[in-house]
Amino acid sequence: MKKIRLNLFMFLSLLAVTQSCTNDLNVVPEDDDDFLSEDFFAQPDAYKRAVAGVYGNLSLTGTTGPGSSLLQGIDAGTSQYSRCVWYMQELSTDEVIWSYEGSGDPGVREIQRNIWSGENPIFLGMYSRAMVQVALSNEFIRQTTPEKLSARGVTNAAEIAEIGYYRAEVRALKCLAYYHLLDLFGKATLVTENDPINFRGTQLQGTALFDYIESELLAALPSLKDARTNESGRLDKAFAWAILSKLYLNSEVYTGTPRYADCMTMCSNIIGAGYQLKVNYLDNFKADNNTSSELIFAIESDGIKTQNYGATTVMCNGQVGSVEGNGQTLYGVNGWGGALRLRKQFVQKFDGAEFDYDSRKTIISAGRPIDIANVAIQAQGYVLGKWSNRTSTGLPGQNSTFVDTDFPLFRLADFYLMYAEAQMRKDGAANGNSTANADNTSLGYINALRERANDGNFANVTTGQVTLNFLIDERARELHWEGHRRQDLIRFGKFTGGNYIWAWKGNATNGVSIPANFKVYPLHPNTILANPNLTQNPGY
Amino acid sequence: MKTIYKKLLFLFLLLPFSVLAQNSLSGVVVDKTSNQPLPGVNVVVQGAGSSTSTDFDGKFKLGGLKSGDKVVFSYVGYNSETITFSGQSTVSIGLIESANQLQEVVVQVGYGTVKKKDATGSTTVLAAKDFNKGANVTTENLLSGRIAGVSVNTSGAPGSGSEIRIRGGASLNASNDPLIVIDGLPIANTTTAGSTSFLASLNPNTVESITVLKDASATAIYGSRASNGVILITTKKGGKKLTVDYNFQYGSGKLVKTVDVFGADQFRDVITAKYPALLPTLGNSKTNWQEEIYRRTDFVDNSLSIKGNLFGAIPSRLTIGNTYQEGLRLTNDFNRNTVSLALAPSMFKDHLKIKVNANYTNEQNRFAPGVEGSALSFDPTQPVYDPASQFGGFFEYRDTSVTTTTVNALTPNVARNPVAELLQTYDRGLNNRIFGNFEVDYKLHFLPELRFVVNLGYDQAKGERRKTLATNSAVAFSNNNIIYGNNEFAEETFTNKLLDAYFNYNKAFGKLNLDLTGGYSYQKFEKERFDRGNTNNPQLGANFPETSIDPDIVLLGFFGRANLTYNSKYLLTLAFRRDGSSRFADNNRWGNFPAASFAWKIKEDYFKENNTISDLKLRMGWGITGQQDTGDERYGYLERYVQGDGVSQYFIGGTAYSVGIPSARTAIKWEETTTYNVGLDFGLFKNRITGSLDAFYKLSEDLLFNAPTADGSNFTNSSFQNIGSFSTKGLELNLNADVVQNEGTGFNWNVNFNATTYQRKIEEVDPFNRIEFGGIEGGTGANVLVNQSGYTPGSFYVYKQLYDTAGNPIEGAYADLNADGIINSDDRYIYNNSDPDLLLGFASNINYKNFDFSFNLRASFGNRVFNNVNSNRAVYARMQPSGTLAAGNVPVSVLDTNFENTTNTLTSDLYVENASFLRMDNITLGYTFPKWLDGKASLRLFTGVQNAFVITDYSGLDPEITGGIDRTIYPRQRSLLFGINVKF
Repeated sequence: MKKIRLNLFMFLSLLAVTQSCTNDLNVVPEDDDDFLSEDFFAQPDAYKRAVAGVYGNLSLTGTTGPGSSLLQGIDAGTSQYSRCVWYMQELSTDEVIWSYEGSGDPGVREIQRNIWSGENPIFLGMYSRAMVQVALSNEFIRQTTPEKLSARGVTNAAEIAEIGYYRAEVRALKCLAYYHLLDLFGKATLVTENDPINFRGTQLQGTALFDYIESELLAALPSLKDARTNESGRLDKAFAWAILSKLYLNSEVYTGTPRYADCMTMCSNIIGAGYQLKVNYLDNFKADNNTSSELIFAIESDGIKTQNYGATTVMCNGQVGSVEGNGQTLYGVNGWGGALRLRKQFVQKFDGAEFDYDSRKTIISAGRPIDIANVAIQAQGYVLGKWSNRTSTGLPGQNSTFVDTDFPLFRLADFYLMYAEAQMRKDGAANGNSTANADNTSLGYINALRERANDGNFANVTTGQVTLNFLIDERARELHWEGHRRQDLIRFGKFTGGNYIWAWKGNATNGVSIPANFKVYPLHPNTILANPNLTQNPGY
Repeated sequence: MKTIYKKLLFLFLLLPFSVLAQNSLSGVVVDKTSNQPLPGVNVVVQGAGSSTSTDFDGKFKLGGLKSGDKVVFSYVGYNSETITFSGQSTVSIGLIESANQLQEVVVQVGYGTVKKKDATGSTTVLAAKDFNKGANVTTENLLSGRIAGVSVNTSGAPGSGSEIRIRGGASLNASNDPLIVIDGLPIANTTTAGSTSFLASLNPNTVESITVLKDASATAIYGSRASNGVILITTKKGGKKLTVDYNFQYGSGKLVKTVDVFGADQFRDVITAKYPALLPTLGNSKTNWQEEIYRRTDFVDNSLSIKGNLFGAIPSRLTIGNTYQEGLRLTNDFNRNTVSLALAPSMFKDHLKIKVNANYTNEQNRFAPGVEGSALSFDPTQPVYDPASQFGGFFEYRDTSVTTTTVNALTPNVARNPVAELLQTYDRGLNNRIFGNFEVDYKLHFLPELRFVVNLGYDQAKGERRKTLATNSAVAFSNNNIIYGNNEFAEETFTNKLLDAYFNYNKAFGKLNLDLTGGYSYQKFEKERFDRGNTNNPQLGANFPETSIDPDIVLLGFFGRANLTYNSKYLLTLAFRRDGSSRFADNNRWGNFPAASFAWKIKEDYFKENNTISDLKLRMGWGITGQQDTGDERYGYLERYVQGDGVSQYFIGGTAYSVGIPSARTAIKWEETTTYNVGLDFGLFKNRITGSLDAFYKLSEDLLFNAPTADGSNFTNSSFQNIGSFSTKGLELNLNADVVQNEGTGFNWNVNFNATTYQRKIEEVDPFNRIEFGGIEGGTGANVLVNQSGYTPGSFYVYKQLYDTAGNPIEGAYADLNADGIINSDDRYIYNNSDPDLLLGFASNINYKNFDFSFNLRASFGNRVFNNVNSNRAVYARMQPSGTLAAGNVPVSVLDTNFENTTNTLTSDLYVENASFLRMDNITLGYTFPKWLDGKASLRLFTGVQNAFVITDYSGLDPEITGGIDRTIYPRQRSLLFGINVKF
């Protein structure tokens, strides 16, 4: 009996020891970059760094440098927001071709030859990156409710007011993501700040998604800072106007209902807000373009502190010719061995003497055939010199791989041309006819860009020259490689079908027609399988 | 201590008296081979019941004998010897080590041991004498190829780690590494900065035995970490007699094979024919770059082990070792100093046993960058050295008009001299590690059936790594045409603390023997890293110097085990463990892992008198084990924010802010593997042939699978979820045979053979069809592996190559498998996998008089490798990799395919090759001088070949590739070995 008692005692004392150890299972972060949420928000500047996180998702792919990513199923660098947008808006068009297609850079070949299916990592990455933007925005809104702020002892009125602006900005950022999803996929997952983590949102598509974005933007607008009054790197009312004007211009594509007058209103808001065309066109695409008075909003890049493999890093390095080896001398980058080249049909947009002095024509053709018979041969086809990691004064950027050049998401010149197009369409111009009905305001906007590009001397156009067909080409000349081309071609009825073909369209050297359902991209199968509320787009 | 001295004194005093007795027998018992005295040999008079045992010097004395008495000398691990007493007063007995120790072998089962003959689970023990011979720098190589179901794949780098798989592993995305336990201390598969691998710290010379627990009934006692099997390493303990063991080994290694690329002349011809524009860039040398980056290597291993009885009371062992191994890559070496101490005192008439194992390792490495790729592709007409070069006198492509090195005179975007990269990179690692345990085993005085054991373990590694490159190196850090060089430094500390406390109750009740174990285990892992970054980089991120602390991992377990034996014939083991892991949230934290196994000694019931069947035991086991090792995902259930580093910032108002990003939140729980195992242990012809046959089926469910999450629902698009299931079924055969046992001629031949076949299959990964992974070189984000329902994990997912009528592959032409008229990513298909169909191991040991000759062979059949070296490089376009700036070399297999561009060839099924192989790991020939120095010592000299040959059809460098993708490897060297063992 005594033995048993003793054993029991030992057992109980053992149990007591173990109980205290069980608490050790509740581990907490110890690293100085890793916080429990409440600890994070207890720091000074926490809200600013949290809002920087929401903005940062546009530039950065992860928290530990350009090789890190919040996403999987896609290469980390390729998953950058502007790069995904750029791939899907540019590679599928006449403006550019990527040399390392095939299975090497998966997804590229299918996009640039218009033979895609859902199983494409870039589609997966784009949808996920945009929806992470939504999730980050929702989280920020959840973390900054008045209740949360007061519980955390945030009482400074100025700080609370500023956080109020952050909340509106974050809402607009969410709308940017939804706008891109509407444009590229025609649909998105609705997830709001009221939904819990790991909640599977419902599908919103077409008009419903359009209406949601519009209402969210209109609701956020009054709470946003006036145009050009916010700190650099943050958005303002003009950002919301920009998305709205894009929505309205493409409304006929998205919903079937034209909204050209609304588009003109929004464009006018922007044009009247005090933005100025940069005197030197190319200064908008250089290492110091963040100072350009023409940019309404740009996706940041910094060679030291905001390193990413985003669109501007890709373009600056990719445009370096394999034959020319002109990276260091011209663009301040090492270059990626001739990754990007031009298709013939784009090059021909600059045919004619009127473009001899056009600063927008940066095509390098010496020693190169214009035709690309074999996509893999980097010496075929012309190359571009629009982007640079050198500053407007010619100094090289800080880093010869990661550029300082920001990606101009919304630029004043775009809204000049959008205004003109909306006006013409509102007043009766339609795809396929040759109506020349640009009014004087529109003509003025178009010629302002022409004058800027030609140093004010040449090449102005007259009303009679300005048809929709002229406008789509002018948009290509002004805005090529800025992530607009696919959207524009669709709006002008030139993307799918055989109205307009270009080299390698539809996987033929000289181009063939592609089916109409290719106006929207398919969702990746895993995107749908992870959320059964989503459906695949028709024809895929 | 005093009492022991007194006893000894008493013994000596008694000695003279006993000698006088007439009917007594005294003598000495020695090991017949080594002539060393054997202490503790049982000396029994058959039938009479009187017995004694030999003392420390192998001496014994037995009284009360009658003429004709049979005296039996028996000792564990030796064949018994019987003599008939005929009045002789002294006798000298030489016992022969039994070639087959199966029956007496003790199996470590975790928190205790059982005799092999009483084991109910699937376990295999390798004792020191069974270990692989030859140059084994890391411990896992001792058992490579020796145990059915266990595969070890070690890289060619010196001291490098291995991929160890037991029964193919049990997880998809969680760890597939087995749990490794050294003297009761489970160690983490964590390599600190400065070290080559986590097992590199253990001197293999100190290992006494390795037990592998394969099925769940055996491993469940380790519950949470046992799904992938358990490897229990026991180090040598001290003996009662002073012995000194010295081992020396020298090896000289060299490169076996190179990838077949164009030689200088042929290269020039191809360039002339295809890319004449590049001719001006060619040089006039004939350089084989693959031979230039490698060298003949030295390997020196010294190990001195002293065993004895400290103060006459503490069995102790001290081992001092040094291992120096050079890698094939110029400058690469591994230098390890180890000190290992084992103390095992027992007190109070063995009621209190203490075991102390302490190991200290000092590891010094010089790491070498992987330059295989640039060596393959570097222009063979260029010289290694160029006296005019300002880059350390090495040839580099450069602009000769620039003469300084601070301003980059290098031609951009061309290959860099791989020899220069090796010689100019100073990348040194240092790792100091102490690990060991302190175990107290107390048998209650008033209740000797009950023992309490407390085991404290501690493992701390402190590593550092420093890398410098001067500004005259072409591969040093540069930016905007200026070479800044490298000066990097990092420091890491890893700590692992263990507390085990358990009791054991062992008592026989008539025919029933009851053996109960129950206890508690606590283990904590901590890791901290300091990184100074490259201080030569003027743009170094503001976060440097950066200190990072990993979240702790804490594992708690409560365990119990009952071994019930009835009539020594029917054995039942029941085990249970309840585990908690800090990786899981409160509500999912605990997992229960039960196991049951039963063994029936059929021999005892049906073949008791049978002379052919000397042993037959049936084993059946079932158990559930857990998996929680999700790598870096350590506490995804917490609401956390992480902060961007120095290059992950966002500018607001001109100020850069480290972005604050909420962490992905997961809700994961234990992955569970259920294992069924049926096994048969058998012995034939007095156990001259022994073996075991096992069949198993494993089903892993609620897999910790990194799978897509609903977009917008989280701060990622993929996270660990408990999704899917996957099964493994297999057969294993181990055979051991004493083919020749001839004491008369002194010829003995023992062979060991094992065969394994297993098949892994993903049952389902609902709702997902397939998850791609397995990145390859030659693209951005290209994959060739897939996890898909119904197929083996990691199956190759590739395009189906089309061939012309002559049977030659057509570049870029693939089958339109879904017949939609378009060749796109939907046309990929699953084509084979890297799992072997059959694994074989064969070891042979021959002793003839004082000669010994042994070899071990390993074979793998049906394993496939994706030859990414060819898929990426064997294309003509790579001969002009940088426009007209420089030419590049490619594998000559391009002549077979005539392929032009990587983009068209990268993921063709053409590159999935059968990589079946037969490898001779080691051949050793030795000669022993048993009575060296007038019998005071024994000396063995041996010579051998490590990695003697490989027979394979695989076209790449080496068919043994981990992960199924050959992306250029660190080649394995072939070494000639010479060694000495001295025993005093």
